[in-house]
Amino acid sequence: MVQAGSKKTQVPKLSSKTGISSLIIFVVLLLAWIVGFSSRLFAVIRFESIIHEFDPWFNYRATAYMVKHGFYNFLNWFDERAWYPLGRIVGGTVYPGLMLTSGSIHYFLHLLHINVHIRDICVFLAPVFSGLTAISTYFLTKELWSAGAGLFAACFIAIVPGYISRSVAGSYDNEGIAIFALQFTYFLWIKSVKTGSVFWAITAALSYFYMVSAWGGYVFIINLIPLHVFVLLLMGRFSNRLFTSYTTFYIIGLICSMQIPFVGFQPIRTSEHMAASGVFVLLFAVGALKYLQSMLSKSEFKSVVIYGGLIAAALVFLTVVLLTYAGYIAPWSGRFYSLWDTGYAKIHIPIIASVSEHQPTTWFSFFFDLHILAATFPAGLWYCIKNVNDERVFVILYSISAVYFAGVMVRLMLTLTPVVCILSGIAFSGLLELFLREDDNVRPEEQEDEDQNTPNKRQLYDKAGAGGRLPKIKHDQSKESDGIGQNIRSIVTIVIMLLLMLFAVHCTWVTGNAYSSPSIVLASYGSDGSRQILDDFREAYFWLSQNTADDARVMSWWDYGYQIAGMANRTTLVDNNTWNNSHIALVGKAMSSNETAAYDIMTALDVDYVLVIFGGVIGYSGDDINKFLWMVRIAEGEHPKDIRESDYFTEHGEFRVDAEGSPTLLNSLMYKLSYYRFGELKLDYRTPAGYDRTRNAVIGNKDFSLTYLEEAYTTEHWLVRVYKVKKPDEFNRPRIPVANRVIKSPNFISKKSNKRKKGTIKNKPVVVKGKRLSKNQ
Amino acid sequence: MKSLIFLLFCIIVKINAQGNTLVLLDNQVIRETHSIFFKSLQDRGHTLTFKIADDSSLVLSKYGEYLYENLIIFAPTIEEFGGNLSVDTVTQFIDDGGNVLIAGNSVTGDVLRELASECGFEVDEEGSFVIDHLNFDASDEGRHTKLALSSENLIDASVIVGNKKSIKPLLYQGTGILTDSENPLVLPLLIADSTSYSYNPDQPIKEYPHAVGKDTVLVAGLQARNNARVVFSGSLAFFSDEYFTSAVSRKQGNLKSDKSGNDEVSTAITQWVFKEHGQLRVKSVTHHKEGEKAPPQDYTIMENVVYTIEIDILEKGQWKPFTANDIQLEFVRIDPFVRTTLQRKPNGQYEAKFKIPDVYGVYQFKVDYDRIGYTRLFSTTQVSVRPLEHTQYERFISCAYPYYAGAFSMMFGVFIFSIVFLHIKEDDKKSKSD
Repeated sequence: MVQAGSKKTQVPKLSSKTGISSLIIFVVLLLAWIVGFSSRLFAVIRFESIIHEFDPWFNYRATAYMVKHGFYNFLNWFDERAWYPLGRIVGGTVYPGLMLTSGSIHYFLHLLHINVHIRDICVFLAPVFSGLTAISTYFLTKELWSAGAGLFAACFIAIVPGYISRSVAGSYDNEGIAIFALQFTYFLWIKSVKTGSVFWAITAALSYFYMVSAWGGYVFIINLIPLHVFVLLLMGRFSNRLFTSYTTFYIIGLICSMQIPFVGFQPIRTSEHMAASGVFVLLFAVGALKYLQSMLSKSEFKSVVIYGGLIAAALVFLTVVLLTYAGYIAPWSGRFYSLWDTGYAKIHIPIIASVSEHQPTTWFSFFFDLHILAATFPAGLWYCIKNVNDERVFVILYSISAVYFAGVMVRLMLTLTPVVCILSGIAFSGLLELFLREDDNVRPEEQEDEDQNTPNKRQLYDKAGAGGRLPKIKHDQSKESDGIGQNIRSIVTIVIMLLLMLFAVHCTWVTGNAYSSPSIVLASYGSDGSRQILDDFREAYFWLSQNTADDARVMSWWDYGYQIAGMANRTTLVDNNTWNNSHIALVGKAMSSNETAAYDIMTALDVDYVLVIFGGVIGYSGDDINKFLWMVRIAEGEHPKDIRESDYFTEHGEFRVDAEGSPTLLNSLMYKLSYYRFGELKLDYRTPAGYDRTRNAVIGNKDFSLTYLEEAYTTEHWLVRVYKVKKPDEFNRPRIPVANRVIKSPNFISKKSNKRKKGTIKNKPVVVKGKRLSKNQ
Repeated sequence: MKSLIFLLFCIIVKINAQGNTLVLLDNQVIRETHSIFFKSLQDRGHTLTFKIADDSSLVLSKYGEYLYENLIIFAPTIEEFGGNLSVDTVTQFIDDGGNVLIAGNSVTGDVLRELASECGFEVDEEGSFVIDHLNFDASDEGRHTKLALSSENLIDASVIVGNKKSIKPLLYQGTGILTDSENPLVLPLLIADSTSYSYNPDQPIKEYPHAVGKDTVLVAGLQARNNARVVFSGSLAFFSDEYFTSAVSRKQGNLKSDKSGNDEVSTAITQWVFKEHGQLRVKSVTHHKEGEKAPPQDYTIMENVVYTIEIDILEKGQWKPFTANDIQLEFVRIDPFVRTTLQRKPNGQYEAKFKIPDVYGVYQFKVDYDRIGYTRLFSTTQVSVRPLEHTQYERFISCAYPYYAGAFSMMFGVFIFSIVFLHIKEDDKKSKSD
């Protein structure tokens, strides 16, 4: 109804009004883009224009490779520096959309002789795409509700922390462009459902294709859209428009998605994609029934529906089961199960559970990432349910499923954020409509124009919310009166404005403080507020690139694989593309075994250097000792005979590094590499030597030496420690240790001194100077 | 004049061909009693520098460069080396590639024991001899410590001890050596008979002897991982002129000879320990696809590959092609995927041809030739094996023909349908409007 109000009244208005409203829309969207872009620049301003974190380093390396060698070579790229000695077929194991996007931007800019380095394109790609996301959110919300709600939603998504967390400058990851593709696909899908045109369905399929090429989250689309269709069928909302748009979208989308090498035959062979084809078949069945309905009498039709339906359902079910058993359809993958059972990953696939962003979301992070939107979006949902139609069913399903998934994994907060913005936009626009409407009715036209200026100015300062208000103020001319007093209206309006302002402040604060750290450069604040940059990671990687052989193989935990490859350009054993669990388990086993056992693994894998992250000196909590239990768990999954998690706990079931820690832990390779020579280090006069600031304990095994490794490099703050693995040649002659000797020899005390350099020979023949016999005798 | 200088230079080079050797002695007498041994070394081109072992001016290296390549310690009773020498410097010398020949006797000093333990053997307690009440030499003085040994007791490696069959019986008098059984690098060059044991002949036997029977090693060798060689003999007399020249006769087994085989064996052992024998090297390694010459950037799975290696052996100071039929090549990615014996070609190269397995990854061509007495030959060459490129797959698969037919017939059908549809539409509209 509200939507109807905003749309229909536009017709009798003057054309200048439409011009003004489109100008406002344009300005607001532009501002949203600019604000979204600039608030993502905190990272660049505070630190520098670098690639952040872990995965972006691989994306950057792949992009640089593609720009240098061309697309086909990229597609065929066999990376022998990753996953030594298995290697990785990059072209077939990567979503190339991100690299293609920035590669083509690079290409066009260079065509225009704007010589931008590919790194800068990569750094600024996500902020630029955040503007596009805002625009597509605007269009999507406009299709769902009204232009005003769309402007609200666009402004929200431009600055909401839940999305910024994945799209700050330098965070060059798939999600940065995928959220745009997601929103745009939904917009086109809604458009095609509304119009029933093949054109829009094909554009939706092409946008879906872009999404498939960009992010594995495309599975969300290919399940949500069929769900939408299915629910519409259940609601008896079958129409030819729906039939046309879904069948077109599904077939084109299917064929396109199979063109991505990484996806390949998955869309027709895995259970995750089966819902889409099931709905496809169902849609045809329903279409056929509708046709039959027009031909047959009611009773005939009833029996046809019942029997036909039963037979068809049984047939489809049997085919799927048979195909699954025959191996044509892969069963649900582990990652998928973990979406339904949060404990599943921890038991069966520790490698997934070990990633912090795969943990269940806390309430805190809902508020942190969404702020007031978390509270207002149920209101928008309520509006949608109340005024339900074909496309609003979609957004209802979208929001409900996204809320569920966001609750399961922190990472999926990202898919929730857009729909929260849409629904909050609807909620705010609905509220403001309610509380500003009578103003319009009471006031004469001139005053309205005046009123229009004020929020327009305000909008400049409060970009988040104010803009969306305008079109409705003008166009709502319904005669209804709620009988709400002037005071209440202004109070509510002011409160809403304050909320929105608080939201904007919160977003800026969160962006600046929580989401703008590149995590390869750390900042710490001294007691006087001065900022210190800890650049240990790059220091270590630079050392590796300068001081090791070009084909040196560096073993580290998989988190640092991409960074070592990207910054140090050295061969790694495992990296963040965790495709081979047993190889990771082997590295985990080496890290959690004692030195001798680890050495066997390391020589088998030709390891030259070992790199560990140690935060005990500066109190950095994301270091390898804190991740150590995951290494143990992953290793235990593959080598249950050699590694047992319980060995690493004390008798009371605690994980501690001090003297009471379990001996297995205190002698493990990871412990030794982290704490080597740390027992001698006294950080300040209050704490004893060997005091670990991260775990607040004095380490338990202080005095030990390394047999098979030697320290090669330790960075300034001890954050990164690099060890060289000795080659077998360096254990030249296996000596017999004193304890193992059968024949004990007495300790010999040297008689040599600085002056007397002569040695000692037993029973040395001495020349006895004879005495001359005296003549008398 | 110039040619004369050149000639002189040549002579010096010839003399120096085998490098400098430092000989440490207990006393100058040993130089006389072992003159045949030293003479044979000098004849082979070694430059010997004789020093008394407690000489306070002893040095092995100067300014980080070693003055000697080989070290002979014929000073069994040394308790502490003079000058800069110590156990540490000698072991460092070994770790840096120097070769050491040590001879002890029943009163072997502590420093030599320490040195022996560093190399993986132990010398039996002071005063102990290897005693054999059956296999003693006729000239023995009644304590049954002067052993007459058959050449069967030598290690089965002609590179180290020469041709075992033709060697005459050996004489030995001295202490026994225990070897670390877990040490794979230690070689028992000469072992005692099964009837022997090592104990102090003057004392009644109260404890079980440390070394009994064939576990008693008389001459032990070590080839370290850097190919430095160490020989420890429990008997200094083994190398003496007396033993070289005296006759051997043993009642047991009727072993008799006018001259002992000590001369021959000690020559062979010194040739081995000072790296005149059994030194191998990899001259060159090449690999390429079959039918090509140069190695490619990377191999593709299922390709045929040719691997060639040239191996040299040092013979009389010159590198010559090495002949053997048991050199193997492995193609390894963690585990060996291919293991094949290299075929010797007429020009002295070894070659292997095989098909790369259908598994991509980073592989190594690995030749690991480890034979007793020879230096360890180890060569790895890393290559990457990539999967097929997108253009290298089959373009048309026969089993897919039904699908091709289906696709094309569908396209054709839609084409026909659209024509028909477009033409019938007019009539349809009319009938509908009616």
